[in-house]
Amino acid sequence: MAPFPVLLLVMAAAALFCRYAGYIAMRYLPKSPRIEAALRATPVSVMAGIAAIAVVQGGVTDAVALAAAVGLTFLLGNDVAAALLAVALAAGLRYLTGGGA
Amino acid sequence: MHAPFTMDGLRRGARAGLPLGGAIFVYGLAFGLVAVQTQLSLAQALATSAAVYSGSAQLAAANLIQSGQAALVTLFVTVLLMNARYIMFGAALHPWLSQASPPRAWASLLLLGDANWLFVMRAIEKGEQDRAFLVGTGLPMFAGWMLGTGLGVLSGQILPDPHTLAADLMLPAFAASMMAGMLRHRAALLPAILGAGVAVAVFELAGTGWAIIAAGLAGAFAAAAIWRPVGPGAR
Repeated sequence: MAPFPVLLLVMAAAALFCRYAGYIAMRYLPKSPRIEAALRATPVSVMAGIAAIAVVQGGVTDAVALAAAVGLTFLLGNDVAAALLAVALAAGLRYLTGGGA
Repeated sequence: MHAPFTMDGLRRGARAGLPLGGAIFVYGLAFGLVAVQTQLSLAQALATSAAVYSGSAQLAAANLIQSGQAALVTLFVTVLLMNARYIMFGAALHPWLSQASPPRAWASLLLLGDANWLFVMRAIEKGEQDRAFLVGTGLPMFAGWMLGTGLGVLSGQILPDPHTLAADLMLPAFAASMMAGMLRHRAALLPAILGAGVAVAVFELAGTGWAIIAAGLAGAFAAAAIWRPVGPGAR
């Protein structure tokens, strides 16, 4: 196996490529409101995706906690407070159910 | 002229990123522990965390190195595949971030992670103008990651269980609540439903990284398909 500095360089190069490739590619894409609408839609899809995966992986307690995150956001109008309360709820539920999902 | 890039924006970003910094600290501990098992020194583990700065990619790479099968091409491709979602993250940030001066924009991208990409995209939607917000959100997360890595290597075994602390749910909880906030706009409904459905389907087949990419692409294509040049008819 190559010495560590070489391994580090290779890992860093791959990571940097991913960080910059999409950003640079956008320079060569023509500016269009349709593309901007597409880009603006990615975060909400990714958020929904991350939450959905957590529910599928985590089971009932996680689903309850994430549903609480959604409900509390509508109730409190503050997404940060809602998320933190949901995490606290999840920790509490896991403690009560013996750490199981 | 370039868009604003101020200390105030940095501070606001740092405040937003602080809760995630705590959760990422716990994951840093986990990587530190794996690094010890991979026979990395403290300096090597810290260098990896600083240069790669991606939990999923580093754990996969550490696995390869530990198995002794880290051919350079394999290592490169592994990190590339684990981090492919960052290509999408960078593209989505371009319209906003490219209005900062290039050195600042490029430096900002070094502090990009899953969580603060979501934070910044949410802030942009709310009208954030200060481009230093991105660096601000990244600082507590990066600090948590480095501190966690270091302590994980030094402790070597004392590891709080991320599951008991529900640290593993920090990102999903923020994702869920930020999504709820965005659902006030009806245009977000279709991308959200598609994103959830596609992510679950792809997750079963190919894991989290690809599920996130697929969700983002599904939302992007849907938004592009339903986009109309004239403003929304329904008001």
